[in-house]
Amino acid sequence: MADPHLVSLMLADARLPVGGHTQSAGLEPAVTAGLVADGDGVAAYVADRLATVVLVEAGTAVVARHVALGDGGAGGTPDELLDVEAHWAARTPSRALRTASRRVGRGWLRLAARVWPAVLDHLPPDAEVARPVVLGVVGAVTGLDAAQVARLAAYDDAQTVTAASLKLLPSDPVAATARLAAAGPHLEAVVAATAHLSDPAAIPAAGAPMTDVLAERHARATMRLFHA
Amino acid sequence: MPETTPSARALRLGVAGPVGTGKSSLIATVCRVLADELRLGVVTNDIYTDEDARFLRSVGVLPADRIVGVETGACPHTAIRDDVTANLIAVETLEAEQGPLDVVLVESGGDNLTATFSPALVDAQLFVLDVAGGGDVARKGGPGIARADLLVLNKTDLAPYVGVDVDRMLHDAGHARDGRPVLALSRDDQASVDALADWVRRTLAAHRTGDHVPVDPGPMAPHSHAHPH
Repeated sequence: MADPHLVSLMLADARLPVGGHTQSAGLEPAVTAGLVADGDGVAAYVADRLATVVLVEAGTAVVARHVALGDGGAGGTPDELLDVEAHWAARTPSRALRTASRRVGRGWLRLAARVWPAVLDHLPPDAEVARPVVLGVVGAVTGLDAAQVARLAAYDDAQTVTAASLKLLPSDPVAATARLAAAGPHLEAVVAATAHLSDPAAIPAAGAPMTDVLAERHARATMRLFHA
Repeated sequence: MPETTPSARALRLGVAGPVGTGKSSLIATVCRVLADELRLGVVTNDIYTDEDARFLRSVGVLPADRIVGVETGACPHTAIRDDVTANLIAVETLEAEQGPLDVVLVESGGDNLTATFSPALVDAQLFVLDVAGGGDVARKGGPGIARADLLVLNKTDLAPYVGVDVDRMLHDAGHARDGRPVLALSRDDQASVDALADWVRRTLAAHRTGDHVPVDPGPMAPHSHAHPH
C-alpha cells in the first residue's frame, strides 16, 4: 500500500485520468454571465466557493471517510455511504450540479475500483455517486486522515477553477498559480471547519444560490466548453 | 476464467479528422444506411457547442436518446486519447440504457491532423479528410492518415470545383498508408456509400469473432515496415 501522502499527491494531480479537464467548477457560466471577468474575479470566485459550496463538498468527503471506516468493527456498507450521499444531495439544490458531480464521481470510482479495489467494499461498482463521497471512501481505504481528505476536496475545487480560468480568461499562468497559492488560508479554513465531522446531519449546508442558477442555465446552454 | 472479450459488447467505432471534413455528415450517412439493419448509438465530442449532437438528432436518422454529446473542456485531443474517462462513461451509459447495441460511433471534436483515438476508447477508427481541404493533405501524412483503420476522402463531388484530382489524392493516400484501405466518398455517390456500409459490416463481423485487433495509429509516425528490407 502506498504511503498516504503519496496517495494524496496522486489524487490532487490534474493528470489523474478522471475527466478533470471537462470541469470548470461553475466558472464557465459565471464568466458567460459576466460575473467573473479577470484574475481578481477568479480569486474572489474561488474564495466564495470555499466559503460556501466547498464546505458541503469537504464535509461530505470527511463524513464519507468516517462512515467508510466504521466504528471499530466492519467498515460502512454501500447503503450507509449512499445515506451520506443523500445528505449531500439535500444540500445541493441544483439537479445539474448533482448530475455533474455524480458523473465525475463515476469517473473517480472507475479509477479507484482498479487502483484501490477495497473501495468496492463500501460503494456499488459503476455507480453514479457524488464525487465527494467517492473521495472520502478512497481516503478511508488508502489511509488518508480527515484533514487530508478535506484539503483534497478544497484544493481540487480551487485548482479546477484556476485551470479552467486559463481557458476561459487566459492570463499569465504564473499569476494564476500565485492566486491559487494565496487562497491557502481559505483552504485551511475549510479544513478547520470540516475535518472533525462524523455525523452526516452535521455536514454544512452553506449554499450559493447563483451557482445553482448558473449551473442550471449552463446545462441548457448550446455553447459551452466545460461540462459544468 | 477467460477475460471479457471485446465481441461481447458493441463495436466502438471512432470517427476523427479535422474540422469541417464531414464527420457528422458521414455518421448521419452511416446511420441512414444501417439503422434498419444494426442497433446504432452515437457519442459526439463538440468543441464549443452541442451542434453536432443536435445536427444528428435533427436529421432524424436515429432516436434522439441514442445520441449523446460529451463536453471536452476545450481538450478534444485529451478526451479521445490521454484521458478517455468522460467518453468511456458516455459509451457505457449509452449501451446500458439503450442497449444492446451493435455499433457505437464516437465522433471526435474536430482537431488537427495528429488527433487519433486511443484503443482504450474505440476498437476501430476512421479518419476523414475532404477534397476541399486541399489535394496535398493526404500526402502530408500523420498518424490518422497513415494508420487509421480506414481513411475516407470525403466530398469527392466537390473535386471539380476546387481543382483537386481525386485519383491523385487516392494515390498519395495509398502511398502514405502502405496499402491500408482508402475510400473516396460522396454522400451523393451511392456506390461509395455502399462501400462505407460494407466496411462497417466487415469490421463489426471481425470484432464479433475476435479477429479484429484495435491498433493505435500513434501520436506520430514511428518508422516501420510491413515488408522486409
